[in-house]
Order: sequence, then C-alpha cells, then structure tokens
Amino acid sequence: MDPNRTALPFREFSHRISLVFMLTLAAALLLLGRAETYVFDRARQVVTDLAAPLLEVASRPVAAARRVIERTDEYAYVFDENERLRAENARLLAWKEMALNLEARVARYEALLNVQIDPSINYVTGRTVSDAGGPFVDTVLVNVGRDQGAKSGQAVVDTDGLVGRIVSTGPKASRVLLLTDLNSRIPVVIEPAHYKAVLAGDNTEWPRLEYLTNISAISPGDRVVTSGDGGLIPQGLPVGLVIQTSDGNLRVQTFADRGRLNFVRVLQYEFPSQVERQDPPDVLKGPPISSSADSAASAATNSTGAE
Amino acid sequence: MVRLEPYSPTPAARAGRVFMVVAPFVMGLVCVLLSFVPLGRIFGSSLTPAFALMAIYYWAIVRPEMFPPLAVFTVGLVFDLLSGGIIGLWAFVYVLTYAVVISQRLLVVNAPFTVFWFGFLIVAVFAGAVAWAVVSIYYGRPVPPSSLMQHMVLTVAIFPIFAMIFGRVQARVLPGS
Repeated sequence: MDPNRTALPFREFSHRISLVFMLTLAAALLLLGRAETYVFDRARQVVTDLAAPLLEVASRPVAAARRVIERTDEYAYVFDENERLRAENARLLAWKEMALNLEARVARYEALLNVQIDPSINYVTGRTVSDAGGPFVDTVLVNVGRDQGAKSGQAVVDTDGLVGRIVSTGPKASRVLLLTDLNSRIPVVIEPAHYKAVLAGDNTEWPRLEYLTNISAISPGDRVVTSGDGGLIPQGLPVGLVIQTSDGNLRVQTFADRGRLNFVRVLQYEFPSQVERQDPPDVLKGPPISSSADSAASAATNSTGAE
Repeated sequence: MVRLEPYSPTPAARAGRVFMVVAPFVMGLVCVLLSFVPLGRIFGSSLTPAFALMAIYYWAIVRPEMFPPLAVFTVGLVFDLLSGGIIGLWAFVYVLTYAVVISQRLLVVNAPFTVFWFGFLIVAVFAGAVAWAVVSIYYGRPVPPSSLMQHMVLTVAIFPIFAMIFGRVQARVLPGS
C-alpha cells in the first residue's frame, strides 16, 4: 500500500486536531488574561523590550518621511504662514505684557500668604517608536524606560498638551496609554467655571467627560486642564477644548494629536503628600537637667572671666 | 555498475530548506511588527491596517500546510503582547478566521484575483465582527465600532499590494507552488 495515501488523511486529521487545540488555547487565554495579570504583564514587557529596538529603527524612516512632507507643506504655504505668524506675534506681545503683570502679582500674593507651591517637575524627553497597532487599543511605545527614570503612572506630554500616562515600563521602553483609550481615566478641571470631571476615553477620537456635576455651566470652547486629583498627574497641564457632538453630548478635542506624535516628555513628578513618615517617639523626654545646669555654670564662669 | 552514494544535502541546502518552510511564518511575524510601525503618521493619521490578517488569509488559501494553526496562534499572541490590549483577543480571532478560511478554501484557491479579493473582504468583515463582539463582552458594553471599521476598510483596500508582495515571495522562495 502506498504510504502517501495513508499519510494524507492523517495529516488532515492532525491539522484539524491542532486547529481545535489552538482555538481552545486562545479562548482559555482570553479568560485567563483577566485573572493572571502578573504573568501576562511580564510576558508583555519581555516582548515589548525585544521589539522596541526593531521598532525604533523602523520608525526612523517614517519620521524622516513625515518631516519631508511637513517641509513641503511649509514651503507651499510659507507666505500665508508668515502673515499668520505676524498677526499672532502682535497678539501675543499684548498677552506677554499681561502675563508679566499677573506673574508679578501672583508672586507678591504667594509671598504674602506663604503659599506652598508644588515641587518642580523634572522631565525626560523621548520619541514614540510604535503605533497602537490595533483598533481597540490606543497605546504607544516611547524609548524612555526604567533606566531613564520612567515609572508607571507618570504623565506624558508633547508640545501641545497631555498625551497620556505610562502604564508599564521596561528597562529601555515604556508603554503610554493615550487619552482616547478605553481604559484611560484622567481627572480634569473645566475652566473658567472650574468644574471637576473625569476624562474617559472610549475608543473614539474625542474622549467623554464623566462625573460632571453641572453640565449647564460648561459650554463648547471651554478649556480642559488636569486637576491633579489622585496625585499622579500634575495640576494644570493643558488637555483640550470642550466640544459638542451632533447628538448633544459634551466631549473633549484633545490638544495632542495622536496621528502626529513624535517627541514627547515624560514628567517625573512627586506628589507633595508623598513625604517621609515621621513617627513620634514612644516616650517624650524633656531636655536633660544636668547639661542645662552645666551650661549655665559655664556661662557664669565665662561672664566672670570677661569682667 | 557504479554504486551511487546516498544523497545528503549540504548545510546551505538544509538552511535554505528550513527557510522555505518557515518563510510564511516569518512573513506573518514581520507583518505583526509592521502593524506597530507608525506608517500612518507619514500622512498625519494613526490608522494602521491589519497586516497580519492579510498574511494569514493569503497563506491559508495558497499554502495552508506552510502556515499551520500553531503559526497563526503565535502570530496572534505576539500581536496581543505587543499591542498591550486584551491577551488572547487576536490569537482567538485569527485562529477562528483561519478555521473558516480553511473550510472555504476550495472556493477561492484557483479563482481569479477579484474573487480572491472579495473573499478577503468577507474574511475581514468576519474577523472584525468577532473581534468587536469579544471586546464588547469583555468590557461589558458595546464598544464604538468606528475605528474598527476604518481599520478594516483600509486593510481590504491595500490587500492587493500585499497579495502581490506575498505572490512574489512565493514565486521566489517557494518554487513549485
């Protein structure tokens, strides 16, 4: 009997068994992924660290091509852009005067009231080396890792405003959860009404405003900044502008454009409440009597000698 | 009569044979990596197509024995680990899609390219629908499908380019197919 004739059905059978096994394994992973987060987080970090250098190399030509296209656009509209910048410069000079006056006034008030201002924020600049990849996830990898001081929870900004926060770090790269991701929740304040809300990503381009107490006080065009609640993200980082969608809901158009992310800053911020714990001593003791008597005696001797 | 020595391939020939066997799988992994390269930013967009789905569909139709279920599962799992999303989502979606493609393979295997492309359109819709259903169940609420639809439309639109590239690789690396 020809061995190939028996091998073919066997191969098909093993192929089907393998298919069923892989399907079961994938379904099991879906269920286990929720429970066994530590193991998968570790695996994810290992794969990310392995892929990050490759992605960094691959993203360089993309960044170069992007620069070429931007330059071409800039040359095409150079005159219009020049006119616009002149007008903007004139407006900004007026704002600068006002800002300097306000800065001096705030400094005077702070000195009068002895205000404890937030500690300064350090930052590390990095480059985004990967895209989200899938339609249900809005994360990017940046080439700033634990070795550069990145930690989970740190805010990431670009020149326009808040981009997101770090959710996992490896030695050389970190994953940034963007504001538009389904899992993103950022405490914000809407100015000028100063109402607090939570900016919640829902896999669309414009994140929602949740837990907003007074919707009537908010109008499209209001500015959204971080509130600093929770102690992870510094207060006052620009996030975006309130917009109203066609169905009447208030959402936020973020300043940071996820399609144009390139260089970003990882803010290294210590919340002021994170101070070292100082326990009181078990027994409170007064100053030792003998030493005070000795010092009084020596002082008396000194004064006699001086006379 | 001259007695012939038994044939033993040289190391280079062996390496070449191994490469031929793993070439489709390696291309699948390259497609996964390509999904994370920010190509869309060249045009100021964050949209990326599902390159891995193209590779899985192509090789499942053309050479299924060179892209076994284990390879499909691995490609999906690597994608899940790199994306930072739900673990097992794309592994599950890709293996299920592969099973459907294999079962209907004979309909498109020798058909004209337009039928091959139309088959991919149906596969992309199926994969997108399964992924959307799994994610919605996972989060306990329906996820807005707009970004998924854009993702799949882009994937179907550029499939001919990648089918051509895979075809070239198949003709060069896998002769006799």
